Amino acid sequence: MQRVLGDFIHALRQAGLPISAAETLDALRAAQLVGIDDSRLLKLSLGTTLTKRLEHRLIYDDLFDQFFASQNNDVYDENLEASPEEPRQQIDDFPLHEETIAGEDGNSDADTPPPPNSALAQQLMNNDAAALQVMIASAAAAAGAQEMRLFTQIPMVTYRVMQAMGDSELQQDLAEMAEDEDESAALQLLQQRRSRLQQQVRDYVEQQYLLFGQGEPQKLRENNLNKVKLTSIDNHNYKLMGELVRKAAKRLASMHSRRRRITKRGLLDVRRTIAANAAYDGFLFHTKWKSTRVERPKVIVICDVSGSVSRVARFLLLFLHSLQDVLPRVRSFVFSSDMAEVTELFDKYDMDRALAEVMDKWANLPTNYGKALADFEGMALDDIDNRTTVIMLGDARNNHGDGNIGIWEEVYRRSQRILWLNPEGQFSWDTGDSIMSEYSPYCSHVETCNSLRDLNRILGTVLKHSN
Amino acid sequence: MIIRNQDKINSPETIKQHFEQLGYICSDAIATSVYLACHLQKPILVEGPPGVGKTELAKKTSELLSAPLIRMQCYEGLDEAKALYEWKYGKQLLYTQLLKDQLGDVMRGAKGLDESVSRLHQFGDIFYSDEFLEPRPLLEALRSEDGAILLIDEIDKADQEFEAFLLELLSDYQISIPELGTVKAKSNPIVFLTSNNTRELGDALKRRCLHLYIPFPSKTIEQKIISAQVPELNDDLRQQLVAFISELRDMALKKVPAVSETIDWARALLLLNVDNLDHEWVKTTLNLLLKFQDDIEAVEPEIHNLLKSAASNR
Repeated sequence: MQRVLGDFIHALRQAGLPISAAETLDALRAAQLVGIDDSRLLKLSLGTTLTKRLEHRLIYDDLFDQFFASQNNDVYDENLEASPEEPRQQIDDFPLHEETIAGEDGNSDADTPPPPNSALAQQLMNNDAAALQVMIASAAAAAGAQEMRLFTQIPMVTYRVMQAMGDSELQQDLAEMAEDEDESAALQLLQQRRSRLQQQVRDYVEQQYLLFGQGEPQKLRENNLNKVKLTSIDNHNYKLMGELVRKAAKRLASMHSRRRRITKRGLLDVRRTIAANAAYDGFLFHTKWKSTRVERPKVIVICDVSGSVSRVARFLLLFLHSLQDVLPRVRSFVFSSDMAEVTELFDKYDMDRALAEVMDKWANLPTNYGKALADFEGMALDDIDNRTTVIMLGDARNNHGDGNIGIWEEVYRRSQRILWLNPEGQFSWDTGDSIMSEYSPYCSHVETCNSLRDLNRILGTVLKHSN
Repeated sequence: MIIRNQDKINSPETIKQHFEQLGYICSDAIATSVYLACHLQKPILVEGPPGVGKTELAKKTSELLSAPLIRMQCYEGLDEAKALYEWKYGKQLLYTQLLKDQLGDVMRGAKGLDESVSRLHQFGDIFYSDEFLEPRPLLEALRSEDGAILLIDEIDKADQEFEAFLLELLSDYQISIPELGTVKAKSNPIVFLTSNNTRELGDALKRRCLHLYIPFPSKTIEQKIISAQVPELNDDLRQQLVAFISELRDMALKKVPAVSETIDWARALLLLNVDNLDHEWVKTTLNLLLKFQDDIEAVEPEIHNLLKSAASNR
């Protein structure tokens, strides 16, 4: 039972459920307590020990049925040949059905031809389904069925399992029998059983893939998406990407959601100390020290939404608004030539709709940093103080216009710091109409930002150093 | 935990039956979780929408096992002084006053500082001792001789720090008091934690608990609940009522009516002598079911359709 449960938990982990060793032990104890006779009770018991979240429970329920359905097949096979592939074969190949019946009492039949040589052939002739299942399972384990990662591996593993079970000897036997005309009946029988075995093996391997391997490509893809350039993500992966962004944001949020205090060691808080020790007749037993609460940063985001940057902007905005918990005061601005505040828009609509609106209204116009900054001065400059972090996302391609550097300098002077995220690689800054080097003296950091990993890292530092 | 009514928790099925006798209708999942919690000695974390009987489960379990129920309501800012123990400062102060008077007698005739100090040591230090300890719910549960049911209600309302503080209690049934050392449970309590999911609980906490999610009950179970709680209500009205509520739950409302609201409604209808659920009655009593004006306004024009589809889906 331990092994079966271990396999099951492995399958659950592959499906993305975080199950710790302690929970595995609990599950084992629970299984011992309730026994394995009542599968419904077992399902409930394992569910309550292994899953700690509603969405995980739903995955678990599916997987339990799937996994133990396969385990149950073994049991059925022992009693009668009612494996799931049976009905299909009956339709495909009607004589087989008769053959099965004939084969079952064939053992006692005096006319049974002399048993063939190879072990597998003998097994097939004996038609011992349970023994065959055991053989399949152990051969599959040896062939690495549980380590499959891609569905294209299924045929190869199936082949390996067949080989491990002694298929080549069997085929040799078949070839020999084909020469001998007396054994044509036995030959046909054996061939049918071999094809059925093949089907069985393939089903088994496929199921193992579904149980153990399916989660992997997803992980692989997510990993890759993390690294890939935001500008080159195709529409197909957009949705998945959105989820990834939310996931990453949530991770950051939970990491930084606690209010932090920094204790100033050595500075006695006299007022609180006296208050705390009033109960001791004024004797100062407990000393209280001064501490300051770490303020969460006030963030102003300015996004260039002109053609080349818009895709990255989309993700940055998505990211920031998923961080709402930790960053309660985010003001967002977008511009190509005119700047507009979109904070309210994001509050009012859900992300997809708001983004669509932004792209519709402001994107794809010729970029003009000078005009945009002038607008920004009017709208938000007074709101910037020494606790404000300004994040600018843009490629600083200004169509050879005036960059209004003065305003940017003023923003720099007032704010706590300025992060400039440039989706272009450093080598292309200042090429063509880019005026990055004019702005960069007035930025605390200038970073290249074109993948989700970059975004995650940069925003992580924003939160970490917010004091 | 010393379980007095061992025969009542032999199997999930018997637990379910006994709960039913106590008027608590539950699903197999709930019964199984209670069964496992009793036998594996693990805390249960109960989650689910408000009003589905999370707290009630703990109360009924305590009734079932005839064990005392110790309840701790969590809220933001709850700390160990309120949850675990506090010193009786007033008495400690009096004690030091007494000590001052006694000190002269004790020290009389002592030669030199060393002797005085050693006499002081012999005097016994009870300043931090059980006598001055004011136990709060958690400590009370640990000290209870025959075990108890400890209900930590709405753990999600407490701070994260408090959650971390609970970990020792939940896994080892012990708690460290700096001045006294470790207090171990005399007999392990059965712990219920409830959460409304206003905040995601930490994995460390979840790992230590069995997890039970109580959803809204199915129509059959809800009918059973109503007939257990409001037995005077006639069958027909009960079916109408449950069907209507279940239609209501499918609507996108701010707060959908929970089981407790269904029970309240049933009681109200009984009181008003209603024998058939019609448009007028629903409209006048809707404020019992829905707690937001927006919701009421959204539902009112739909009552007719809801009643119709409730009648067909019964």
